[in-house]
Amino acid sequence: MADGLQILRRNRPGSKAKEFCRWPDEPFEEMDSTLAVQQFIQQTIRRDPSNLEAILKMPEAQDEGVWKYEHLRQFCMELNGLAVKLQAECKPETCTQMTATEQWIFLCAAHKTPKECPAIDYTRHTLDGAACLLNSNKYFPSRVSIKESSVAKLGSVCRRVYRIFSHAYFHHRSIFDAFEKETHLCKRFTYFVTKYSIISKEILILPKLDDETPVGESEA
Amino acid sequence: MDDSSVSHHNGGQVGSQIGVSVNNKQNDEPSQSVQYSIPGILHFIQHEWARFELERSQWEVDRAEFKARIAFLEGERKGQENLKNDLVRRIKMLEYALKQERAKFHKLKYGVELQQGDVRPPPEEPTSEPEHAERAQWKQGRQLIKQYLQEIGYTDTILDVRSNRVRALLGLNNEEIENPNYRNYDKQQHDRCDYSMNHMVRKYDYGGKEARKSTGGGGYNEEGLSVQETAAVFANFEFLTNQEMDMDEIDDLDAKQSHHICSKKGEDLDLEAEEVLNELSLITEREADGGGQGDEYPVGGSAGGAGAGAAAGAGAGEADEEPLALGELAQLTVSNEPEAYDVASANKESFRKTWNAKYTLRSHFDGVRALAFHPTEAALVTASEDHTLKLWNLQRTVPAKKSAGLDVEPLYTFRAHTAPVLCLAMGAPRSEECFSGGLDGTIRVWNLPPPTADPYDPYDPAVQGAVLRDHTDAVWSLAAAHGRLLSASGDGTVRLWAPRAARPLLATLRADESPSAPAPAAADFADAAARAAVAYRDGSLLLYDLETGQAVLRAGCEAGATRVRAHPTLPLLVTAHEDRHIRFWDAVSGRCAHAMVAHLDAVTGLALDPNGLFLLSGSHDCSVRLWNLDTKTCVQEITAHRKKFDESILDVAFHPLRPYIASAGADGLAKVFV
Repeated sequence: MADGLQILRRNRPGSKAKEFCRWPDEPFEEMDSTLAVQQFIQQTIRRDPSNLEAILKMPEAQDEGVWKYEHLRQFCMELNGLAVKLQAECKPETCTQMTATEQWIFLCAAHKTPKECPAIDYTRHTLDGAACLLNSNKYFPSRVSIKESSVAKLGSVCRRVYRIFSHAYFHHRSIFDAFEKETHLCKRFTYFVTKYSIISKEILILPKLDDETPVGESEA
Repeated sequence: MDDSSVSHHNGGQVGSQIGVSVNNKQNDEPSQSVQYSIPGILHFIQHEWARFELERSQWEVDRAEFKARIAFLEGERKGQENLKNDLVRRIKMLEYALKQERAKFHKLKYGVELQQGDVRPPPEEPTSEPEHAERAQWKQGRQLIKQYLQEIGYTDTILDVRSNRVRALLGLNNEEIENPNYRNYDKQQHDRCDYSMNHMVRKYDYGGKEARKSTGGGGYNEEGLSVQETAAVFANFEFLTNQEMDMDEIDDLDAKQSHHICSKKGEDLDLEAEEVLNELSLITEREADGGGQGDEYPVGGSAGGAGAGAAAGAGAGEADEEPLALGELAQLTVSNEPEAYDVASANKESFRKTWNAKYTLRSHFDGVRALAFHPTEAALVTASEDHTLKLWNLQRTVPAKKSAGLDVEPLYTFRAHTAPVLCLAMGAPRSEECFSGGLDGTIRVWNLPPPTADPYDPYDPAVQGAVLRDHTDAVWSLAAAHGRLLSASGDGTVRLWAPRAARPLLATLRADESPSAPAPAAADFADAAARAAVAYRDGSLLLYDLETGQAVLRAGCEAGATRVRAHPTLPLLVTAHEDRHIRFWDAVSGRCAHAMVAHLDAVTGLALDPNGLFLLSGSHDCSVRLWNLDTKTCVQEITAHRKKFDESILDVAFHPLRPYIASAGADGLAKVFV
């Protein structure tokens, strides 16, 4: 979308889906917006969603709290895609509880008293709650600087979000595989939480996901 | 005392003098003929003594009169100072309101509380403490005068006739004499007044040129006003004895006090600092010219201003004028009331014209591409690049739970699109449905959950309705009317749907069959949904007849269009363009009726209010503008959103029934203005 002298990075009404956000990369140093980190993360993901190193390589002089926060926003956003897929298959009748392995039943923390929501509700409630928390004016009033106390909130969101991956992996494997093939989201998430030690290793119950992920028989 | 009583006194004196001189004659004549004798001398001395005594008593009377005069003047002074106090309080109120405003503005602008010296409401009326010594003295003096007057032949009744009459008129019977109590208070107020005047001038000095100008004028007028008002008060109070004036003053003050409270309330609402200044200059202006020109200050001010001096002299002693004088007094009290309401209503007027951000809807993870209000409720749906839509109920602000600080929490999150959602349309009233189009090429029908839904209710698959999949590329624009849906897509087609029908696709509209045909950017129903107006990326504007599916009108320009809206009542089409223009088209002739540079960057959002009087536009220049459709002038500009890459505002909307407008931004926020 280079208009001669000036590149305008915008999506014009009427354009094709394949043109969407297909503008030349903008160097991070030149981003002067308050949403620079989000822009940068999305730009790197668009270039190659499988290149975890590149996606999670924090620019120099970047506030780590904001970096983690923006990545978590991006994870929650992309998890909507998994939730959409699960909505078609994960029914309250079949998955009455949020489980991964048989070891734990997870209680949904979105309610006043945590309760045993069916897996699909747990998924939705967790994502909705995360959206509320991460957009909360109280804890995250700014997207350029974040209080240390608010950064601490990211951990619990990560833990709950990870359960969505694990439920999908253990109970809806084909959906998980199809989604993972497309987005590499779980791999990226695991890499992310490990790199910044957000979740302890014991909780990461999914086997290491290598590139030899079996070719899922696409969506049911 | 006034002149009438003076003349009475004179009459009395003259009478007694005559009596004396008669006596003199009677007594002197024999003493002339008769040689000096002891009894004669004694008599003469006696007589002389009596005369001196009489004169002395006369002087006493004079003295008493002057004392009364002094007391009256004191009262006068007090009246003047009370007026001054009132004005000072008014200034303080305004000052306070301004400070509040400033603090609020500061808070809104910088998100921090403004640290200023002393933001507190002006002090209450100090309670007057009677000073017994002074009061006793005053009473004593009064008793003395009474005594003297009685000696000369004045009765209490005559003495008090005026005050009694006034009292009767006022319906008061309080005998309390409070004059001296106010003296200290006056002085104190006076000092405070001076201080606050300086203070005010200093304050406004840094408040900008305009502010200084009006304040300067205000300050000056204040002085002039005091003089003029004093004259008026002089005239008014001429007829009253001191204590009555006190009564009135007290009433007056009370009235003004309450007026201040109510005006303050009004100001608290949402008064701009500018308006405070305007009000200030309004008040000073109005009062400075004696109220003659002001609507709310009819008889009192002008009579006082013009005939002040005259009334003091000529009107003296004319008891008939007393009701009038009282009327003026009453005016003085009451005249503040309409003024207060006037200001309040003026605020309301400007309030109605000015939209203020009230709700910030934060919950989307990425840019909000579209929003649409519920046809009747105070609710709206937003569509975002984060693949979701959210439903918001503006009347359900969130109880502080884990998301304290949020104005509104979404009621429901619609998940089904597998790509950014680009456009939205709301169904007819009571249909409780909405439609969304996405980058994934699908159009989805949604059944809106009730406004009482809880965001953490169990998942209800029935919210998802039909999916219209005929478009082969991104769906960029949707419009709904009369149960039909119009969509414009990046695949080059505009399609007409009956979304609830078994075979929903009714028609496909193409500009021409060539593969290089420009893609439609936006479409809207026109002419009571009998036609479709479609704006194309190359700037052309086509009007299709929906019966035949044929283009009936071709218009357009060179600049790429982004939006099109049809006027609800007139044959008028409005288009937004990449070249910063908004263009108006005659839907009959296809002529460009008007074109204007509306923004500093590409115009991205258009909305017409339900009555077709105002146009709302949004742009990548981060601003939302409200236009008067009649004059094509910008009524208000609101900077609403931040940029993400080179995008800022992506959509704007009017509520079809309620006074809400909203904007959607690439920063992931939606804002609602009231």
